[in-house]
Amino acid sequence: MADQLSTTVHGEAQHPPQRDLYLPRRADILEIVEETPQERLLRLKMADGVPLGHKPGQFVQVCCFGIGEAPISMASAADASGTFDLCVRRVGNVTGALHKTVVGDTVGIRGPYGNGFPLETLADRDLLIIGGGIGLVPLRGLIQAILAQRELYRKVTILYGFKRPEEMLFRDELAAWGAREDVDLRLTIDRAHPDWSGHVGVITTLFPDLALDAAMTKAIVVGPPIMYQFVITECRLKGIADENILLSLERHMKCGVGKCGHCQINGKYCCLDGPVFSFSELKYLWEAI
Amino acid sequence: MTLQVISVAEIRGLLAQLMEQGRVVAPHKRPGDRQWAFEDLTDPADAVLQYTTTIIPAKKYAFPPKETLLRYELGQAPSVTAVVDSEPLVLFGVHTCDLYGLTALDTAFADHFADANYLEKRAKMRIIGIECVPDEWCFCASMGTATIDSGYELFLTPLPDEEHYIVEVGSDAGDEMLKGIASREATAGEVSYLKTHLNRKITQERHLDSDYTALPLLFTGFAESPVWEKWAEKCYGCGTCNLTCPTCFCWDVLDEMGLALTTGERRREWDGCMLEGFARVATGENFRENRTERLRHRFFRKYAYLFTRYGKPYCCGCGRCVRQCLVKIDPVGVINELIAAHGKGGALIG
Repeated sequence: MADQLSTTVHGEAQHPPQRDLYLPRRADILEIVEETPQERLLRLKMADGVPLGHKPGQFVQVCCFGIGEAPISMASAADASGTFDLCVRRVGNVTGALHKTVVGDTVGIRGPYGNGFPLETLADRDLLIIGGGIGLVPLRGLIQAILAQRELYRKVTILYGFKRPEEMLFRDELAAWGAREDVDLRLTIDRAHPDWSGHVGVITTLFPDLALDAAMTKAIVVGPPIMYQFVITECRLKGIADENILLSLERHMKCGVGKCGHCQINGKYCCLDGPVFSFSELKYLWEAI
Repeated sequence: MTLQVISVAEIRGLLAQLMEQGRVVAPHKRPGDRQWAFEDLTDPADAVLQYTTTIIPAKKYAFPPKETLLRYELGQAPSVTAVVDSEPLVLFGVHTCDLYGLTALDTAFADHFADANYLEKRAKMRIIGIECVPDEWCFCASMGTATIDSGYELFLTPLPDEEHYIVEVGSDAGDEMLKGIASREATAGEVSYLKTHLNRKITQERHLDSDYTALPLLFTGFAESPVWEKWAEKCYGCGTCNLTCPTCFCWDVLDEMGLALTTGERRREWDGCMLEGFARVATGENFRENRTERLRHRFFRKYAYLFTRYGKPYCCGCGRCVRQCLVKIDPVGVINELIAAHGKGGALIG
């Protein structure tokens, strides 16, 4: 074999090697909103002005130099402004560092990665969007995209459950969605609280009152791992087919490009094949749910 | 091209020539019983020609245990540079199992997003393979890797006198290497000896009770087997099997700052799915919390998941995992026990 660079390894045709595969692009923090005591929303723009071109449901690898990288879901739909939002819960080193940033700081971004929500298959369907806790973060981008072209979709129902009133994310947007006649928004908190006058109970307690046209409905579910089995059961009891139940799964993608092995779910790579899967893809995978 | 025969002295001469051109790596004897390691060659006489297997496979030259991916400088406008290091390298003395291991990694690193850090190192690698000395842990014949017809420049098989080797040329670069090296054409008897030798290697080894091509299908029946728990009870969860495996390529990413905290680098380091925190996420959830799940995952990844994904097994039958394992968790033992316990589904090959 020749000494010069080659895109061929012993005769097997390959994709051209990407020298910048792990190189983050710079993004500037334009705005910070403290959503809850644990979560903050960062509004970012790529420093080179080239938009990310992401889809709702995809994720990026966010890095603070000297600290590390972490996979974070896109929290907004792509729009003409070229900005994008990330909503970060403070749980580890990188997210801890992101909670110390100020407007004007720079972070590194790789991606977007993953498949994202299949918006094209949601058109002309009733949508049942179910978020638990910070599961609402990736769903926010989806909801924004849907509402930007509301006429493409039929009924839009959003269920959002969280533990305590102070953990409610995106209050202004929830109020705006709730005020729309073409959106049915239902909120619940896990346990009664003096500051809460709405529905109380885990998210599945919202199901008995739902009137669904199961054959026309696509359910999109994002929440903590424990939530899935219960919500999937409710969706199936309502008659929604497994291929119409979409889930976004959490794993620790360390590379985002199908190499490092950390996000593997049986034979799937969450970063390449997901993070959005239909339940029919997952039901025989014992590591998925 | 007809097969050539060269002497051991000529092999050492070839190594000397290659060392003049650049870096050459070869198996070296290490202290202890049956311990060899790939190391930089400084004297052609140090290269071991006949050995069983090295402790760490040759993958370390294409996918180093620690590898810098980025360097950065902090400041108002941080600057960051991708680091893709590679250099011409001759890898001498690679066995068929390890050659296969490299081709398995080639497929994974080139898939979808092609990883330049790996692929550029591979592209600058020239390989001289050599026939092995199997031991009680080898099972390459069962994995289809007792022979390999590509992935090398030259491949050497010792003749019975062990003073001469049959040379197979696998590439133009291999032809180039042989120029100026005294050789003669192999006789018909020597050519037929190749087959005898191979048969001896194969029959000497232990075997899986199944054709390897049936493993992905067989494994579908193994998911809930109590066999996993039985073997996992012995497992220390040390990850040695991951680190010594030619086809394991999982890694972690770490940032390290310089002392002045103004510069730093991002590295990848070998990681292992047998280690407890491998599938843990930030919120504390661990998707493979116990050793049984982790052991099962490792086996499924080798014989089912990646086999299905890439069309080839991610095990080369070298036996390093069990050879180095403190409690001898043995792929042949585990798989044959699974087959004995659950059968072949009544349908399958082998």
